[in-house]
Amino acid sequence: MRFPALLALSSLVLACGGSDDAGTLLRISGSAVGAEGEILTRQIARYQAKSPGVRVVIQSTPDDASQRHQLYVQWLNARVGTPDVLQLDVVWTPEFAAAGWILPLDRYSPPRRDSFPASLEANAWQGRLYAVPWFMDVGMLYWRTDLLARPPATLDELAAGARRAASGSGFVWQGARYEGLVTVFLEVLGGYGGKILGPGHEVLVDSPEGVRALTWLRDLIRQGISPQEVLTWHEEETRFAFQNGQAVFLRNWPYAAPLLAGPGSRVAGRFSVAPMPAAPGGAPTAALGGGQLAINAHSRFPDAAWRLIAYLTAPEQMLERAEAVGQYPARRSVWSSPRLAAALQVPPDQVLRIVESAAARPATPIWTELSDVLQIWLHRSLAGQAGPEAALREAAREMERVIERSGLRKGIP
Amino acid sequence: MTERRLAWALVAPALIVTAAVALFPLGWTVWESLHQHDLRMPWLGRPFVGLDNYVEIVSDGRFWGAMLHTVFFTAVSVAVELGLGLFFALALNRVFRGRGMVRAAVLIPWSIPTVVAALLWRFLFDAQAGIANAVLVGLGFLDEPVVWLVRAATAWVPVILADVWKTTPFVALLLLAGLQNIDPALYEAAAVDGATAWRQLWNVTLPLLRPALAVALIFRTLDAFRIFDLIYVLTGGGPGTATEPLALYTFNALFSNLRFGYGAALSVIIFLVTFLLALLYLKGLGSLTEEER
Repeated sequence: MRFPALLALSSLVLACGGSDDAGTLLRISGSAVGAEGEILTRQIARYQAKSPGVRVVIQSTPDDASQRHQLYVQWLNARVGTPDVLQLDVVWTPEFAAAGWILPLDRYSPPRRDSFPASLEANAWQGRLYAVPWFMDVGMLYWRTDLLARPPATLDELAAGARRAASGSGFVWQGARYEGLVTVFLEVLGGYGGKILGPGHEVLVDSPEGVRALTWLRDLIRQGISPQEVLTWHEEETRFAFQNGQAVFLRNWPYAAPLLAGPGSRVAGRFSVAPMPAAPGGAPTAALGGGQLAINAHSRFPDAAWRLIAYLTAPEQMLERAEAVGQYPARRSVWSSPRLAAALQVPPDQVLRIVESAAARPATPIWTELSDVLQIWLHRSLAGQAGPEAALREAAREMERVIERSGLRKGIP
Repeated sequence: MTERRLAWALVAPALIVTAAVALFPLGWTVWESLHQHDLRMPWLGRPFVGLDNYVEIVSDGRFWGAMLHTVFFTAVSVAVELGLGLFFALALNRVFRGRGMVRAAVLIPWSIPTVVAALLWRFLFDAQAGIANAVLVGLGFLDEPVVWLVRAATAWVPVILADVWKTTPFVALLLLAGLQNIDPALYEAAAVDGATAWRQLWNVTLPLLRPALAVALIFRTLDAFRIFDLIYVLTGGGPGTATEPLALYTFNALFSNLRFGYGAALSVIIFLVTFLLALLYLKGLGSLTEEER
């Protein structure tokens, strides 16, 4: 009696897990709060309507990037097959790829030629592409057109402009101890011609360029060009300060533009965007951020997952996202669309210049750990607990230890 | 079945439950702490590394910083809480109108969830909109607003105030219970002998309150030593890691960096230290009760 019952049960389980499209249940996880959630729900509904037998469910995860990352790592490490489609932050792809948690996408011929080089670089690991860029984030400088005639051409001009026009908080940026601080530092560092890491995991952050970059940031606070509060501020606090007319310059991501131009903003119609300037010898650098879509290596429906990704990252859907939430399209071809010009609050050709200058953070599977070390030492130095040189030397020493422990220099994995 | 066997059989369920929920996780944590188990570096596997994690911990400046912060926080906050708690307990022990109401009201800070209390204090100490700056500048104690959370020394102020505000009521109630156990006849006798109120406090109240004081001390020290949520919300351990206590450092190692082996070793160290503290206190308390007998 017991044996046939078991058999019946197992055949039932098999019947439910059919591999054809009928009965395919895909779970996707990513930013699904507010307007982003609405647009994603709408696009998924359209996709389901045109793909009979496929059901797509949004699996909710925390909106905070590092919390979502922790959850992903715990799930993927336990080889859970869902979510099938994962929205990844730009710095996670090499980590997940090296761990074997997401699938290489080359056999699906992803849209390489229509993507930006920095995006491709960030989403590749050992020559293979593991995630498709969905939307692009780039760090940029918002400046007040009513207070200045033109955007600053150098870092010194930026500091001088902020000091001269300082009406409270001259230049506001993300200085709290989190990933955002590292992206700000990366842009100033690039402006001085420095790098955090070399291609073979050589730590380069404690170079003279690094010290100059950190000294520049620290002096902003010391000289009152940036308020001390920036050391506790994330994106939103800086946006509020700029939006209330308290600052001349704001370093932030594209999401701020529609909000700054919207009702309730005191600077609507009185701001524009420019690339973060550089010092002589460096190049304007924009930190690359944004969302990518990847396939869980243990998904039961990898092919169906790919079809969903292809749909969500098609030009039409990207354009719709730009219109709904102001996110920048990750496909080059979309940038020539007149609909995009109408959707963005700033002229697309200006923004495209910034997008082209975007620099990926080092593509390494241990980025989050290295960044953690850097965040602490940058914050200590900016808070006056350590000089820039000593702070970067210590940071480099600790980063060196993490790299050593990872075994990456010995060619693992 | 002998009586001895019966006894074992009867306590077996309790022993098994204790082993399952207390001893097994503890043993597992100790075993885990002897491995390198790093979820962020899955290609390394989970090799047995002996005491490597412990060696790394004691050579890590951030660990010793966290230890120092924990000891500092525990010493300062517990001392203030005991002092203030005693004061409130003595006041509440008097007979006055509305005493029941006041006793209940005192408990309000204790009943507010720590995370909510921490947020509250963060808003109070906000540099621009906080009441703390407004009051201090208004009264002339400060020339200009202080950005509390960006300097190590000032970041401790809201942390310690919040903890004192929240847990002093607990101490006060514990001590109040102790006070009510003291026989009023002793005070009458002391008064007849001509002892001043001050003398009564030193020679009658405090000696008889020692057991209650010891209990409050144990509870508060062990709690303060494992401080986590208050600081996590209020300062996040910053600026840099200047207010990071041991429990927050362990949390970061375990849940942000997902270093399970290293985090387990840190947990074992916290366990050993609190266990040692508890033993010391219990020994002190034990000799105390002996004395009374």
